[in-house]
Amino acid sequence: MCDITTVLSVDLLAQVLDWLHDSRDLKSCRLVSRAFLQAERMHRRAIRPLRLGPLPVLLRRYVGSLQSLDLSSCPSLDDSALSLSIPCPNNLRSVSLSRATGVTWRGLEVLVSVCPKIEAIDISHCVGFGDREAAAVAKACWLKELRIDKCLNVTDVGLAKVAVGCSRLEKLGIKWCFEISDIGIDLLVKKCLELRELDISYLKVGNESLRSIASLPKLEDLALVGCEYLDDEGLYFLSNGNCSLQSIDVSRCENVTSVGLTTLAEGQQRLRKINAGNCSPVLTSTFVSKLCTLGDTLIILKLDKLQLSASALEIVGKNCRNLFEIGLSKCNGVNDEGISWLVEGCTHLSTIDLTCCLLVTDKSLLSIAACCRGVKCLWLESCVLISEKGLDQIATCCTDLKEIDLTDCNVNDNALKCLSRCSELLVLKIGLCSGVSDIGLSFIGTNCSKLLELDLYRCTAITDDGLAAISNGCKRLKKLNLCYCNQISDTGLSHLQLEELSDLELRGMVRITSSGITAMAVGCRSLTQLDLKRCYSIDDAGMWALAQYTENLRQLTISYCTVTGLGLCHILGSLRCLQDVKMVHLSWVSIEGFELALRASCGKLKKVKLLGKLQDVLSPELLQTLQARGCRIRWVNKPLVFKG
Amino acid sequence: MDQKKRSSFTYPPRNNSPQESFNPNYDCPQFNSQNRTESPYPYDTPSQFFNSQSREWDPHALLLNLSFLEQKIHQTQNIVREMIRTNEGQNCNISELTAQRQLLTTDLTSTIIQLISTAGSFLPTIRTSLLSGNAPITQLGSSIPSASSGLSPSAYQPNPSPDYEELTKGWGENGVESADQIQIEDLDVKEGEDVGQDGDTLPIGSYEVLQLEKEEILAPHTHFCTICGKGFKRDANLRMHMRGHGDEYKSPAALAKPAREPGSQPMPVKRYSCPFVGCKRNKEHKNFQPLKTLLCVKNHYKRSHCEKSYTCSRCNTKKFSVIADLKTHEKHCGRDKWLCSCGTTFSRKDKLFGHVALFQGHTPALPSDEVKGKNEEINDKDDSGGVGYNDGDEYLDMKGGYFSPMVNFDSFSFEGLDEFSRTTFDPTETSFSFLRSGSPDFARKDPGN
Repeated sequence: MCDITTVLSVDLLAQVLDWLHDSRDLKSCRLVSRAFLQAERMHRRAIRPLRLGPLPVLLRRYVGSLQSLDLSSCPSLDDSALSLSIPCPNNLRSVSLSRATGVTWRGLEVLVSVCPKIEAIDISHCVGFGDREAAAVAKACWLKELRIDKCLNVTDVGLAKVAVGCSRLEKLGIKWCFEISDIGIDLLVKKCLELRELDISYLKVGNESLRSIASLPKLEDLALVGCEYLDDEGLYFLSNGNCSLQSIDVSRCENVTSVGLTTLAEGQQRLRKINAGNCSPVLTSTFVSKLCTLGDTLIILKLDKLQLSASALEIVGKNCRNLFEIGLSKCNGVNDEGISWLVEGCTHLSTIDLTCCLLVTDKSLLSIAACCRGVKCLWLESCVLISEKGLDQIATCCTDLKEIDLTDCNVNDNALKCLSRCSELLVLKIGLCSGVSDIGLSFIGTNCSKLLELDLYRCTAITDDGLAAISNGCKRLKKLNLCYCNQISDTGLSHLQLEELSDLELRGMVRITSSGITAMAVGCRSLTQLDLKRCYSIDDAGMWALAQYTENLRQLTISYCTVTGLGLCHILGSLRCLQDVKMVHLSWVSIEGFELALRASCGKLKKVKLLGKLQDVLSPELLQTLQARGCRIRWVNKPLVFKG
Repeated sequence: MDQKKRSSFTYPPRNNSPQESFNPNYDCPQFNSQNRTESPYPYDTPSQFFNSQSREWDPHALLLNLSFLEQKIHQTQNIVREMIRTNEGQNCNISELTAQRQLLTTDLTSTIIQLISTAGSFLPTIRTSLLSGNAPITQLGSSIPSASSGLSPSAYQPNPSPDYEELTKGWGENGVESADQIQIEDLDVKEGEDVGQDGDTLPIGSYEVLQLEKEEILAPHTHFCTICGKGFKRDANLRMHMRGHGDEYKSPAALAKPAREPGSQPMPVKRYSCPFVGCKRNKEHKNFQPLKTLLCVKNHYKRSHCEKSYTCSRCNTKKFSVIADLKTHEKHCGRDKWLCSCGTTFSRKDKLFGHVALFQGHTPALPSDEVKGKNEEINDKDDSGGVGYNDGDEYLDMKGGYFSPMVNFDSFSFEGLDEFSRTTFDPTETSFSFLRSGSPDFARKDPGN
């Protein structure tokens, strides 16, 4: 038998592999022959293991070429596991330990010491991390990229450690590090002059920070989301600073008004992206009129929840001709006239967000279809006045449409029939559209085979047949929302044979039972997230099936299910990837059941939601162990109410 | 108030009656005795008279002055006679004797001064030579305490400083008046923080140098009850205490603060020497830097020459000899200590971060990081005085306790302080106009005496 590698050298094979992005395709490729496996081994730069067990083997296999390691989805990762699994001579440049709540500063110190070339570290959402962890990370002196978002205990001292230790930092995210103040930011700016991207969203810092930040010579991208203490004065500093910003996000800054935005637009002439959503909604027109100074450079503009008149949109349309994305969500004044002015000028628009623009009618859709043929994403949630007429025009003209959100738009089967002409459609959201029935879904199932995400939330007219049509047509679905579609029964679920489905929401589907879940689990083995809240008929049998077939399940909601202690123990003990379980109001589970189940899963869980009453009856030692392993427990005090 | 003014500042009749010459403002035991023949009568009125006349020479005034001097010499003669009489009686104690000597000396001094001033108003050309002669006269006064070392400071109360001051002012308005202002600042406690530091450019010899003994500096109480001997920090407390000893101490006049006559004049410039030989603050030192106020003396002596007996209860390492220093330290000691990796500590985070920003490689230390080198002792705070005395308590203590033994002989030191300083600092009014408006009555009345 001829060895294929004589024809297809490893170099060529590597080039082929460059074009393969899907993990399944790569897996198939690995399985061809030893030579293919070897090529894949040499080619691979990044891995993202789902479990800790195979990690040492994987790392040994890829040690030479591997540059990026993502451990964010590994459960029960702690210091010893981390230090044991990383081989000593390695070329790792980037490590992600996001949500690795079991790791402490000791593990981080080991990581930094064994990875001398490390350039990027992500420890975001490790909520217990503080200055000591930041100090451990700060020993990586070649670090260029660091994310410590939501490390809640990091203070100015920790930031100072990082600033002094990692002076080559180019990207830094300190979102939600509430303890950091102006003093820390000031020191950071003095020490890290290479910073290009900075995210200080939701920090309680004031204008003084912006005065410091404005002196960063290389800063391009600045995110200031929800900084409530910033106001126009801070933006004035930015507009007069050394930095040449390309992107700024001041959304949700309550005290930023159009005055500040205007000065910013005047001072920073190279701005490409502006997000001013949810700012103080006064004097918007002056700001918009100043946008003409930015003119052609601007490509993304988000003005959510601002008061925009038709004339303001006309100015945008006339001046920002290269606009690629516009966000007008919840802008009260937006109407058909404004949209037509806008799209007439901005013909390159690819993403248009008109969420909750209640005045928008079919006329807007017609003008969009006429002017912006390249539209890929269209967000029309709650635009109640649109109908199949407008959507028909969109589907006809904008053949490249990939995402459309029609939640709560009262569309019907005819609209879906029109939309099904967009064969490139990836995301379709038609939640709360009670007019959609199986007929409409069958159009989608027949034509939109590339669909990745489908939202049918409360589409109560859908029955098993509709679901069957979808399952048969859209084999690549990754995300499916069937919440409260209460006509669907086990028969419908048994049609779900979607190999790639990872996210499934079945909340409030009162007719499904464990047999349906079993059939679904057999068909959808890649599930990582499953919501079974208020599926009152699901019992231990369903848990057994999930434990057996959906090995990768990471997030599970089984509140209100009739699961007993046995089923709970089994599923929590068996699923090796499980990290987040919501189990409120499991009336059939005894205290001992909870106790045992939690013990069985101890070390893996990062988030648990339990009934508040259990707080006092569960053994304190167990709760302490859980918390020591980095598990956050949310106690819920909701009354037990059955809804159907 | 009016009543009191009259009693203390009307020219006292020379009839040697203790009853009449008794000044209620004196709370010093020495002067309450029966043997005291002379009250330290204020010389204000004649001197004011001189001064008001000093610009234009008036023969009537000269005559008036001379007759006043004559009276005064008679009066001094009386004192001497009294002394001889008591000596013969053998029933005097030493302190009384010294007090009398004291009185005599001051009387003579003032007589000399007045004689000179009279001559000065008559012969304006001798001004300069007189001014240079000021210092020895001052020194004369300062030599008194050393002569009567066993005595409490109040022994030389009768030093008639106000009129002396007034006299010198009359001649050398420029030099001496500015010195007055500095002194007034000293009395003002809030401004006392930087005393001794603020470019105290008084030429040597232009001020009096006083030196207290160690025991006096460290004495916890400075006011003693003449009846039972109980000590107090504050004069006001003593007055309250005195009520218990009889109804005569309950009169409003006895309970009131020792008042200062608004027309009275500031004391001569005083500076203090530390009794510790070899100290830069000791007058024997070749680069002697005098201390400005009594509080400075007290704090300097405690900080520099005493054991540090107050230990911080938080860190158990820092020791202080002045309790207010301890209090100041305790405010910053402990949890909010900001530490750099180099071992330097800061009381404030922004200071630490400023330091870190300045030096390459320094980082803020985490709470449990090893401290490599601790800067154990901060250098002693400035010797010169009440650093950090913003405490209300200290303020009171200082007012009542530290000053009154020295100055309450003039009885004006605190009561009249406010109006006094107001008048003196008022740039629009010269001291002359202040005098004229204050005391024409006295000037007219005096010759009658």
